[in-house]
Order: sequence, then structure tokens, then C-alpha cells
Amino acid sequence: MSLELQLLLLAWGTLVGLDLVSVPQAMIARPLVAGPIAGAMLGDVATGLQLGVLFELFQYDILPMGATRYPEYGPATVAAVSAAHAATGTLGLGLGALVGLITAMAGGLSLHALRQLNTRAVRRAAAALEAGDPRVLERLHAAGILRDAVRAAVVTAFGLLLAQVVRAYLAGALPPHGVALLNVAAVGAALAAGTAGTLRLVGRGPSLRWFAAGVVGGTVVAWLR
Amino acid sequence: MSPPLTRARPGLVRSLLRLFTVQGSWNYERMQGLGIGVAEEPLLRNLRAEVGDDGVAYRAAVARGAHFFNAHPYLCGLAVGAAARAEHDGVPPEQVERLRTALCGPLGSLGDRLVWAGWLPLTSGLALIAVALGLGLRAIVAFVVVYNVGHVALRWWALRAGWRYGAQVAQALREPLLQRATALSAPAMALVVGAALPLVAQYLSSAFFGWARVALAGVVAGGFGLLWWQRARLTGVRLGLALLAVAALAGWLWP
Repeated sequence: MSLELQLLLLAWGTLVGLDLVSVPQAMIARPLVAGPIAGAMLGDVATGLQLGVLFELFQYDILPMGATRYPEYGPATVAAVSAAHAATGTLGLGLGALVGLITAMAGGLSLHALRQLNTRAVRRAAAALEAGDPRVLERLHAAGILRDAVRAAVVTAFGLLLAQVVRAYLAGALPPHGVALLNVAAVGAALAAGTAGTLRLVGRGPSLRWFAAGVVGGTVVAWLR
Repeated sequence: MSPPLTRARPGLVRSLLRLFTVQGSWNYERMQGLGIGVAEEPLLRNLRAEVGDDGVAYRAAVARGAHFFNAHPYLCGLAVGAAARAEHDGVPPEQVERLRTALCGPLGSLGDRLVWAGWLPLTSGLALIAVALGLGLRAIVAFVVVYNVGHVALRWWALRAGWRYGAQVAQALREPLLQRATALSAPAMALVVGAALPLVAQYLSSAFFGWARVALAGVVAGGFGLLWWQRARLTGVRLGLALLAVAALAGWLWP
């Protein structure tokens, strides 16, 4: 993969990482968006869509509320698409999932570190903030956004690097059965996580009946296709 | 006397734009406080001219605006508008602080139900269905557009409602449209995501044949059982990594 393409993916991953919490939360950080756009950059929309759907299911497992810690799937999906695209063929899904899940965990840890850095900066400027200095307030806020941009870029770069390493050392080492098992594990885990996460959201109230109706309807449509 | 809505419009627009960055400096001490303060500042500028105290009231209001706050990011505008309006109306500082504190819980809870557990999974589920049915990138573009129509409308409504009602902002939360949307979003989300799951399963497993399909059914059932049973400890990402490790090892040993 050319350096230009890697830089393009890095820029996209950074935007995606910024969107998750800081600016503007327009949901380009959702894997369903981040993956296909990364795929389009690589001229491989199909792989981008597949991994976007796969990680969107993992995303259903979490609710981004308040101070909760959660994996970051946006830049992770960009890195996963990069890994899967170069691996070609059916190997892509499992290999992409492996790279993506590790990157997602790293992204989650980086968010916690960023929040701690922001907390220290706020403590240092406490006196000026209490004096109501708008310039200090705006500077602190802008610095927080800048820190998040750097964080997102570092996470994406880590993911892209991991993709290179995994492609080089793992892609050729697995026999066909191993490739198929890896794909089954990736899709199975995603479907299990998506179902469990959705059921936690739905709860045991009246919405459960609507969920069951949806599953029946979806199954019928899938069967008829 | 506080400025009417039309006179405040430039300030409201600036405030809305800043609200898109409300979580940019999220931290464990004040959480969204700084972002709220930054978004509220354009609405407080008139205080310098109105009060004529050499900016003392303005600075005090800016400092209050940046205190601890945490709620759903899309509904923060309600607190920003209400607090700014209360400052203009001459509401005592301690009452403004109480108003902000009182809004954290309801705005967080309402936003989580309406957006994180309603609008977002609903539109994302529709996009998943569309991708599974072969609409490709068009489904993604439609998701981004439709989701953000609701997103931006909610942010703008929240800011305007906060500014209109000021200290009486609780009235805005009782608006019938908001109540109906909250009540409808949960069943609609459940129906759509429920329908998306089998279609997505078919889409992702289209390249699997024979034993792989049987194995997939087993992995989904077992994985779901583990995630449900161990929900306090096991997450999707951990399950995924564990299964991938087992699969890689088994595949490597399989002759």
C-alpha cells in the first residue's frame, strides 16, 4: 500500500476519532460509516462495508454514557479495513477483526489518558477559570480538542502499523481451515455482541415484543431472498 | 429585561456552533463544564453593556458557566440557553447554579433514552438492513444525512427552548412532541434492530458453507450466552479477542 494511501487513511481515522467525543458527534465515528469510506479510499468498498457492518455489531454492545470506559471502534475499523484489503480474499474478515479489536482496546485506553490530561490542565487553570477569564476558558477548550486530534491520529497510526505487522507475519502462516475458523470466530463474536447489546437496551418491558417481531420479520425476509 | 429571541439570534448561532464541540475538553473534574462555558459565553456578552459594571457580572457568569456539568451532549443547549437567560433576567447566582445542577440528571436520562437508545440504533439499524439488502454506499450516505437531520434539529431546539424558558426550562421538557418521541423511540428501535440482526447474519455469512455455518451458529449461541450470563465482566471486545485467539490456535493445529 502506498504512503499516500496510508496518509489518507491516517487523516480519515483522525477525523473519525475526533468525531467520537469532541467534534461534532455526527456519527462518522460509527464503524458503519468509517469502514465503507476507508474502503472507498482503497478502492474496495465491499471489504469496507463488511467490516463496517461487523464492527457496528460490536458497537451495539456499548452505550457511550458519561464517564464510562468503552472501546473506540471508529479508527479501529479504518485499521481493520486496511488489514483486510491487503490480505485479499476471504482471509480479510478475520484478520481485519483481529487488528480492529486490538486497536479498539488501545483507543479506549487512550480516551482515559486524554481525560486525565484534560483534568490536570483544568486544575492548573482553576484560578483563572474562577475569575471568569473567557480567553483562558477558550484556550483550555481548544487545547482539549487539539489533544484529542493527536490522540486519534496516534491510535489510527498504531492500528495501521498493526495491520502491516499482522499482514506480514500472520496472513501467510494460517492454513485454509485456520482462515475459515478465524472468519467464523469474528462474525460469531460480532453477532453475539450485537444481539446481547441490543437485548440489554430493549430490556424486559414491552419493547421486547417489538424486538421479537423484528427478528421474525428479518428472518422471513432473509429466508425469502 | 432580557433580549428577545430575534435580537439574540447571532449569539444563539455562535452558541450552537460551539455546542458541537461541547465535549472537546471533557475531564474528570468538571466533565462537560468547560464546553458548556465556552458555548454559553456568546450569549453572555450583552451582560457587559446591560449591567454596566465594568464586566464584573459578565465574568462571574462566565465562571459559573464553566462549573461542573454533565448531561447528554445533544441536549446541553437546553442548560446553556436556560442559564444564559437566567443570568440576563437577574436570577440570583446560587439559583442559576441550582438550575444547572438540577438539569444534569433529566437531560442525561432523556438524551440517553431518546438518542443513544433510540434515534441512533434506529437509524443505524435501518442502515444495516439497507446494506444487507444490497444498497451499499447509498445506505451509508442516507444514514449520515437522516441521523444528522435529527441530531442538528435536537441541538437547535434545545438551545432555543432553554433561551425561551430560562429558569422555567422544566416546561420545555414536558412538550408533547418530545414525550411522544421518547415513548415511540424504544419500540421502533427494538423492531428495526431485531429485523436487522438476521439479515446482517445472512450478509456476513454468505461466504460460509457446510461446517462453517454450523460452527457459526454454535459460536453465536455460545457467545451470546456468555455475554448475557457474565454481563458484568465480559464485553464484546474481550469475547471477540478470545474467540479469535482460540480460532487461530485451532486453525494452526488443524492438519
